[in-house]
Amino acid sequence: MVGMKSSHAYAAALTALLAFSVLPASAQEIEHHKNEKVKPPAPAPTVTQEMLTNAGSDAKQFLHTNLNYEQTRFYPGKQINASNVSKLRPAWIFQMDVRESLETSPIIVGNVMYVTTSFDHVYALNAKTGEEHWHYKHKMGPITTYCCGPNNRGVAVLGDKVYFATLDAKLVALDAKTGSLVWETEIADPELGYSETMAPTAVNGKILIGTNGGEYGIRGFFRAYDANNGKLVWNFDTIPENSVGVWETKDATGHDMHRDIAAEKAQLAKTGDPYKTLGGGVWQNAAVDLKLNRIYFVVGNPSPDLDGAPRPGDNLYTDSLVALDLNTGNYICHFQYIPHDVWDLDSVSPPILIDVKDKDGKTVPGVVHAGKTGYVYVNKRDDCSMIRFSEPMVAQENFWTLPTPEGARMLPGANGGVEWSPMAVNQRLNLAYAVNLHQPMTYQVQSSPYPDGKLWLGGAFKVIPGEEQFGNVSAVNYNTGKIKWKVTTPQPMMGGVLATAGDLVFTGEADGWFRAYNADSGKILWSFQAGAGVNAPPSAYAIDGKEYIVVGAGGNTQIDFKRGNNIIAFTLD
Amino acid sequence: MMSAKRSAQIAIAGIVAAFPLMPTAVSAASVEENAQICAGCHGENGVPQAKTTPIIWGQNEGYLYLQLRDYKSGARKNEQMSSVVAGLEKADFKALASHFAGLKWPSMNFPSPPKDVTKVALTAIGSVGCTSCHLDQFQGDGTTARLAGQQPEYLFDTMTAFRDGSRANNPGMSDLMKAVQPADLKSIAEYLASLQVVGGGQ
Ligand code: HEC
Ligand code: HEC
Repeated sequence: MVGMKSSHAYAAALTALLAFSVLPASAQEIEHHKNEKVKPPAPAPTVTQEMLTNAGSDAKQFLHTNLNYEQTRFYPGKQINASNVSKLRPAWIFQMDVRESLETSPIIVGNVMYVTTSFDHVYALNAKTGEEHWHYKHKMGPITTYCCGPNNRGVAVLGDKVYFATLDAKLVALDAKTGSLVWETEIADPELGYSETMAPTAVNGKILIGTNGGEYGIRGFFRAYDANNGKLVWNFDTIPENSVGVWETKDATGHDMHRDIAAEKAQLAKTGDPYKTLGGGVWQNAAVDLKLNRIYFVVGNPSPDLDGAPRPGDNLYTDSLVALDLNTGNYICHFQYIPHDVWDLDSVSPPILIDVKDKDGKTVPGVVHAGKTGYVYVNKRDDCSMIRFSEPMVAQENFWTLPTPEGARMLPGANGGVEWSPMAVNQRLNLAYAVNLHQPMTYQVQSSPYPDGKLWLGGAFKVIPGEEQFGNVSAVNYNTGKIKWKVTTPQPMMGGVLATAGDLVFTGEADGWFRAYNADSGKILWSFQAGAGVNAPPSAYAIDGKEYIVVGAGGNTQIDFKRGNNIIAFTLD
Repeated sequence: MMSAKRSAQIAIAGIVAAFPLMPTAVSAASVEENAQICAGCHGENGVPQAKTTPIIWGQNEGYLYLQLRDYKSGARKNEQMSSVVAGLEKADFKALASHFAGLKWPSMNFPSPPKDVTKVALTAIGSVGCTSCHLDQFQGDGTTARLAGQQPEYLFDTMTAFRDGSRANNPGMSDLMKAVQPADLKSIAEYLASLQVVGGGQ
């Protein structure tokens, strides 16, 4: 990003800095500042806790990464619906400076939209016209480590600030109106493999965030920071000091994982609990239950990904659902989907809080999560225990074959099943919508010692040249576990889903198609070719009585889908 | 060469002006002095003397820093480089990394390999997914190396070293290289060397 066009935000930040400085700015900088056309501030209204709490019934704004605290991604507007979606047209297209992997969830406050790009730029746009209010470029430190692309999944909003986190592991608060820097906190040391790509969550004056680094031997965490000043409120280590667990030999669905428990116990006696470098990143937002005052999130894979030898035990709380007290960060309960994972088939898609039927048919508060395994898991909210799991959404072949030095073939591959892509639900139909990859891989194991914050995979996973890859959109009844409908897509799917009260489901594809499906039948009702991979979750909002659907089309680094730099808003003619 | 040096100095001066409170452990002069030592092998104008010596002008800052740190700690072993870094400290590494990252990557115009070689390279690259870290155009970023336009002989040597474990400062890269057929390494090196460099210093 060597572009000469400096943003208004940067100029403002520079002015602020210089105000504290006794040094005169260089002539070049002054000139630069003068040339900036000063734009009026973005007319963003103050975001109250009440607005955030009631976001699920607000059809005008899109205030959370996954729409509401429950993360349902179910948009309550029905102006755009199954009967008229065929007339959906682009209202505007905004082209960003960065043409790289695009995973942002657009956030809409009043008439202002916030989107982020790879390498941590933030834009405030006029949500009606697509015009730019401001553009903030994070000043990246030299050390960044990230496994899966320089992604950023978006901002959180609270009060008069916009919050996001960066590849060099900083939490940043910007002025929502001007885009100028309010505060910046270092979350962790990037030299040890910590980085940030997830969007934070704002609740009760706190900013909640996890960390990446499961490919670098970090010790993962989930945290709350003070929204006013960036001070740490609480920290929860996603890897407890006793990470061994109960030597469970089966995964949550009852498949034998071929663990050699005797060898693991011998290793434990020799090298002790591996908790200090056990990984356990958190990739996506926590769901918040304000009634129970709890948060629910899923924890990613153990480090090193493919080599279980140096990490005996169940590797708690990797590949798990975890519930914490919102005020204190204290542990409440957990459920491990895959103990001692050696395939990187971890838990990344954000969990959803909805009522579900328990085994006796009674309605109980539930948690629904889609795994890289290709299962939708349904758990109880009170004690985290599992009620049921769905039919597998992708084919399983040689499930669970252990990785070998030569490489062992298995399906699903290490990207899933369901990757970080958020699901959406339609509670009238009892359906959860998930996007999947069908990508057979060879899993190869190689032992190496902890490399001080460098990439630590313990082997390699490879797609198999010549083998067919594709994807699907699946609608799963979370009360029965049955797949209601499934549409096969030509490319593996990564991005995310939006469902609407107009009985629609929106999701995008790697080859540029963005489509609307009938929520009940899976019939394709509308398609748009965006010219680059639509690998980001859609959002929806309404201005002056007109509804819009918006999505990023920028492709994806992780599986090398065609890059672009577009934010596209659609509305009815 | 003169003009490149001057622009680097201006850049450093600019940083100091914008962040007046930043401690300046290493003066601009000593970075220049240290950099003179490097020129002996890595080239006066960024073109290395030997084909097996890597281009470091315009390489990514985080990557340069980590390599210097690793030569010093012994995590990466090379006789020439370990004696070079013996007398230097973390602050010197940071300053040198920032200095070289700001210089212009020399345009060597390595030829595009024949179609069949490119095909072998692209198949191996696609199977491992090299671009998920080295990015679309193999420019890398942060602590991931730029590979586009690097010397092919050096690329071949260092991939081989990752593979046989003699370069042990990134086991992740070693694991990935072990997943590549040894016969494909030369094609990959030639293909990467022929790629264009986008941006990379001023
Ligand atoms: C005597 C010759 C020599 C001198 C002097 C020298 N280098 Fe090197 N440098 C090499 C060689 C040869 C390699 C490749 C070594 C290897 O394969 O590990 C190398 C590798 C490097 C690398 C790793 C690059 C990569 O792509 O991985 C960096 C960074 C580096 N040198 C920086 C410097 C700096 C900075 C200086 C001056 C302070 C310097 N070198 C001085 C010969 C030299
Ligand atoms: C998971 C991320 C990742 C993937 C995938 C990856 N690399 Fe790397 N690669 C790195 C990192 C990080 C480094 C820097 C190594 C270090 O810290 O010393 C690196 C370094 C290198 C270097 C050394 C560059 C130099 O200047 O010495 C080469 C060559 C290389 N990679 C080639 C490849 C090829 C070819 C592939 C695909 C077959 C590949 N890499 C896949 C992360 C990756």
